[in-house]
Amino acid sequence: MADLAEIERMIAAALPGAEVEVVDETGGGDHLRAIVRAPQFEGRSRIDQHRMVRAAVQSRMDDGSIHALSITAEPL
Amino acid sequence: MPANPELKQKVEELLRDNKVLLFMKGTPEMPRCGFSMRLVGVLEQLGVEYGAVDVLPLLDPLREVTGELADWRTFPQLYVNGGLVGGCDIVEEMLETGELAGLLEVEQPEVIAAPAAPEPADPQQSPPLKLG
Repeated sequence: MADLAEIERMIAAALPGAEVEVVDETGGGDHLRAIVRAPQFEGRSRIDQHRMVRAAVQSRMDDGSIHALSITAEPL
Repeated sequence: MPANPELKQKVEELLRDNKVLLFMKGTPEMPRCGFSMRLVGVLEQLGVEYGAVDVLPLLDPLREVTGELADWRTFPQLYVNGGLVGGCDIVEEMLETGELAGLLEVEQPEVIAAPAAPEPADPQQSPPLKLG
């Protein structure tokens, strides 16, 4: 079970200037979708954009708070 | 934990030998994860030839390998020309935008089929992984 507001803060801290929204996709609290628009994504491949988001929340993936993370990323 | 060097070498060989390589849970004929099934559906729609590896029998060791090779540890994963393109999210986005057809050098389908609904995982044991 993840704290959605904490996940949003972790992504925002890793990508200064980003617009971040994290939603619970299943209601179970551990299948999340992060919608992220960040200036840092400009010129990066999609997989790199996803890697940047995932890296920001890796600790919450590792400890099992997040079971599955879908990502919607676009440059801001 | 570092990746098993022999397994990593086998994966690198597969990546060299298969222009389009899918690491999935289950097989194209019998996917055992909804996301893997959707990726198979994307590749079938585009009509490309691809190699498929069932990751289930070696799930954790393969996570270590792809973590080292591509900084990505969840499956499914689609590789083209040896490089990681992405998982289900990215590949479906790229199908819609036509980027994937461009990357694979095939015609963009006129009508894109909706992704199939995920099915619950089958608890049966999966078939053995064929590496090489």
